[in-house]
Amino acid sequence: MDREVKERTILDTFAEDFVNVVEKHAKYIIVSGFVAIAHGRSRGTEDVDMIIERIKKEAFIKMHNDLLLAGFECIQSEYPEVIYDDYLKDKTSVRYVRKGHFIPEMELKLAKDELDDYQIKTRKKLPLTGLDLYFSSIEMNIAFKEELLKSEKDMDDAKHLRIIYSDVLDENEITRIKAKIRRLRLS
Amino acid sequence: MRDRTHSEQVIRWAEFVKTHPRSIWIREVGPLIDAQIIMANTFYERLSKTEGGVEKIRKLRKLD
Repeated sequence: MDREVKERTILDTFAEDFVNVVEKHAKYIIVSGFVAIAHGRSRGTEDVDMIIERIKKEAFIKMHNDLLLAGFECIQSEYPEVIYDDYLKDKTSVRYVRKGHFIPEMELKLAKDELDDYQIKTRKKLPLTGLDLYFSSIEMNIAFKEELLKSEKDMDDAKHLRIIYSDVLDENEITRIKAKIRRLRLS
Repeated sequence: MRDRTHSEQVIRWAEFVKTHPRSIWIREVGPLIDAQIIMANTFYERLSKTEGGVEKIRKLRKLD
């Protein structure tokens, strides 16, 4: 029996459609689990994590309205002022889904410190994923998973990425990022 | 606690991905990723039609 195999998963298409709107309004990066999944890690997830540069409320309202027009909705509130003032400005993430669907979710937050600024500044497109998206660097993802997140799932993600990029990884950069994580997120 | 064979499988699969093009490994993981999302959405849809289902979904999604 032949089974149809698509080049794009539901997660891929969801992320690309969301990014098509966001990139018109802000610099963004995709981080964490989807980075590993986009590199073939065989596990599920309910969400894609995105960090965007700190934008003003007016700019966010325009972006939110464009997301609505593209068929997305925010779970936390339908009012962009509330989303911005009660969540994003308060360094709390919000979640968008396709209207009428439950998952996947895009977990969206504003850059909150110099580490996030650095992640956005060093963002990369990663050809191995086959996706036209900006990701935080592989070194950044490994450092976060090994130094901050540390669950079995995260450690397996880091191990997977280390093997995929074993020939090009910058270990000194991973060490530098881990030091930043300890200073900014763990002290 | 996951045992040694789990770790070995993570390594074995990562080696496969590293040595094969995306068009090959996506055939293996793509349907798994899609199935999880399709099954979850189908379940939530069914749950939302039961008595108290919408409230349960809100709790599952930590909205209340």
